[in-house]
Amino acid sequence: MPTFTIDNKTITVDKGTTILKAALENGIKIPHFCYYEKLSIDGCCRMCLVEVEKMPKLTIACNTTVADDMVVHTHSPKVMKARAGVMEFQLINHPLDCPICDQAGECRLQEYCFEYGVPHSRFKEEKRKKKKRFSIGEHIVFDEDRCILCRRCVRFCREISKTGEVAVFSRGDRSYIDIYPGRGLNNKYSLCTTDICPVGALTSKDFRFKVRVWFLTEIESICPECSNGCNIKICVRNNNKIYRYLPRQNDKVNDTWMCDGGRLSYKNILSEDRLTQPLVKSGDKQTPVKWDEALSIIAKGFKGKDGKPDGPHIGGIASPHFTNEEGFVFQRFMRDALETNNIDFTVIKGYKDDMLIKEEKAANPRGAKDMTLSPRNGGLSISEMIRGISTGDIKILYIIGSDLMGLEEGEMILDSLGNLDFLVVQDTHVSALSRKADVVLPSATFAEKDGTFTNINGIVQRIRKAVDPPGDSLPDWKIISRLSKAMGYVMEYNSPEEIMNEIAKEIPAYKDVNYKKIENQGISVG
Amino acid sequence: MEKYLTKNFDVPNSETIKAYLNRGDGYKAVEKALKEMTPEQIIEEVKKSGLRGRGGAGFPAGLKWSFMPKDNGKPKYICCNADESEPGTFKDRQIIERDPHQLIEGLIIGAYAMGVNTVYIYIRGEYASQAKILQKAIDEAYENRYLGKNILGTDFSIDIYVHRGGGAYICGEETGLMESIEGNKGQPRKKPPFPAGYGVWGYPTTINNVETFSHVSHIINKGADWFKGIGTEKSTGNTLFGVSGHVKRPGVYELPFGVSLKEIIYEHAGGIRNDNELKGVIPGGSSTKILTDSMIDVKMDYDSLMQAGSSIGTGAIIVMDHTTCMVRVGCVLSHFYRHETCGQCTQCREGTAWMHQIISRIEKGEGEIEDLDILLDIASNMEGNTICALSDAAAWPVQGLLRHFRDEFEEHIKQKRCPFTDSFLV
Repeated sequence: MPTFTIDNKTITVDKGTTILKAALENGIKIPHFCYYEKLSIDGCCRMCLVEVEKMPKLTIACNTTVADDMVVHTHSPKVMKARAGVMEFQLINHPLDCPICDQAGECRLQEYCFEYGVPHSRFKEEKRKKKKRFSIGEHIVFDEDRCILCRRCVRFCREISKTGEVAVFSRGDRSYIDIYPGRGLNNKYSLCTTDICPVGALTSKDFRFKVRVWFLTEIESICPECSNGCNIKICVRNNNKIYRYLPRQNDKVNDTWMCDGGRLSYKNILSEDRLTQPLVKSGDKQTPVKWDEALSIIAKGFKGKDGKPDGPHIGGIASPHFTNEEGFVFQRFMRDALETNNIDFTVIKGYKDDMLIKEEKAANPRGAKDMTLSPRNGGLSISEMIRGISTGDIKILYIIGSDLMGLEEGEMILDSLGNLDFLVVQDTHVSALSRKADVVLPSATFAEKDGTFTNINGIVQRIRKAVDPPGDSLPDWKIISRLSKAMGYVMEYNSPEEIMNEIAKEIPAYKDVNYKKIENQGISVG
Repeated sequence: MEKYLTKNFDVPNSETIKAYLNRGDGYKAVEKALKEMTPEQIIEEVKKSGLRGRGGAGFPAGLKWSFMPKDNGKPKYICCNADESEPGTFKDRQIIERDPHQLIEGLIIGAYAMGVNTVYIYIRGEYASQAKILQKAIDEAYENRYLGKNILGTDFSIDIYVHRGGGAYICGEETGLMESIEGNKGQPRKKPPFPAGYGVWGYPTTINNVETFSHVSHIINKGADWFKGIGTEKSTGNTLFGVSGHVKRPGVYELPFGVSLKEIIYEHAGGIRNDNELKGVIPGGSSTKILTDSMIDVKMDYDSLMQAGSSIGTGAIIVMDHTTCMVRVGCVLSHFYRHETCGQCTQCREGTAWMHQIISRIEKGEGEIEDLDILLDIASNMEGNTICALSDAAAWPVQGLLRHFRDEFEEHIKQKRCPFTDSFLV
């Protein structure tokens, strides 16, 4: 473990640590463009030059390994001169179109210019013109003029997405980034290049010009699109509108990446077909009602002729989109309030790769399993429940979500639902299932509530409320606990955290789980 | 003054193995090295000789060879740098055209000393006919069992491949050359790792210039002491000076280090054309800083030229008489570096272009006096801050020109035109 001095601070680091990494980990700022923790070291931008005593020249901090007794200066006059030099070289041909550039607010070039640049230009020549704002991929616009040739995108496509469609073409001051002929920057993770692009060269078609980034608040959460549980930041304006998701670093889960599908899935939350009010079927129509009315109709519908819950004839189909807390509350409601063991869930499956995208298209199938949302003690599975509809064994279904429709027999299931006595569907969006329901309960999406998801590898992670649920919709845990109360079985919870504390007592694998420990990097339940 | 590198240049068919063997000492050094010497002894002998690399940087060759790991169980390589692209430099071409077996013999000895079985000769794309000559010589060496499996009945095997470049100056930079051999874009690699640990294909590699390897057979034949006796204490042996420009007899001259620049220009190259006045001399290829007529008593060796504020580089002497416009010289040189920089490092990509733009503007008569200090500041921001030395190579000539010919730049600015009637715009 070498010990060295940097800006008069003595630091001991692991063997093989570079000056730049050591500095960043110890709160010493060294500006850099091309260096990115998750990519190979390039060393071309020359912004991280530092002075190391006894070395004849300045050296790049990103590629210089710390050695014992090294003395490093990161802000000496020589270093500051070199940095100002790099800034000047980067800017002479830069269009300086900051007022109309959407990177403003998160632009390295702009930030370093304030910190290390020279306020006036000595450049009297005609600026080099390159291609402006052209589509380089389905989701991405490229502005060659603003590119500083740090090659982060090139390395990303070679090393991370392993698709290699981007390269530097030509040479010298004619160099430019482009895609190989006939290809597009269209890999499944292409928008990550807009995250790592330090300037306004690569921008997201979806996000650009929607809002200045300094108006956005970032809320830490988890991407709900598959069971990988990529850590994200939900970027919200005025507490009521989501503008984008950004990946958030978690080296155990997603490093600093996320797939385009997940990133753009925020649109589902804003979509027009959200359920915003409880609906009750009257004739061919479903009409909006107040919560109390809907819940009392359900309470009645779930009971048999004897006024007790019609346990054996009720089936509950849970959702892999539930938080752990909601799954736990749901199974308690089914088993304790409705006295049935007919609980099951299913997950829609789809495209997967060997990077982040997992086959299960829901955030929490693992948590659903852990929360015992599968049939136990003679309870019926989904297919048995469906069969039970035609034999008359199942008369009532309480379905959360529309994952059933992902099953091969989805259409057949939809038809058989007509034979039920009573169908309750609880969901975020209108679906073919909800249209069949006697009562529809509107629920909140992951972005509108707190809770935890357990990812495919057993890492329990927190989601946090970023925006209010639309209309009258409520988080599933609230709906279920209200319904339970309406049924005469009181399960009062004030917050998901409270439910988690109960889970920790009830489910052995979760005995050490609590919100404080989860923090922003999650904890493993094996 | 004994010549050894160019001694046989004028023998008829000097490029053939027949002529090489007929001299008596052809391929005798290989026999001596392989049969009478251990690899360590050879490296020791080369070290002792004081042979310095002739590619420009002057790094001691024996020391470089000793960096190669021994018995590492993995492939090792030699790259012979024949990408001779520095403007003014044309000495290696002469060796390849007129005595290629001398080079091949040096390569075999070097390979044996470093435990290398594969040698790449990276030759610049424009040397098309030279590549043919070289390949023919290699084929002859195979036919005569100096190359191939178990040469000279020993258990040492060696293959030499000629790899033609695509015509990029940057591929003469050692790691840019290796990238190019691997089929990648010619861009120097950041260091560390250094080639002796991580070279071609990621394996230990030693790279030397054509001329450097060409000295080796002579050192083995005649001994390190003989070699040390030629030249100066720290610049040993003969070297090839390529003289071009405004002299009566341009060409390649083999002379010992330490000979004066004046002697080279006035005796060997016959003096200035039309007996014009000498104005400036670039002593070691386009990247070395220019010297003025009053400085030509300088001795041509590493130390003396460093003291004179320049460098011996590749020994490529470019002579300019009084008709030369030094701003125009700056234009030509800075255009070259602008065109040839790979462009990965910020300073070099932007700096080479900016310097060329400014100097061109001055040449056109549109310069301003503060441009001169801007030029020097650009040069200082470029120098020493990049992955490879191309940025320095671009900065130095500008610094040299402004140091010695600043008045001429100022004159362009004052007169708002180029005062040299036969100069033309870039």
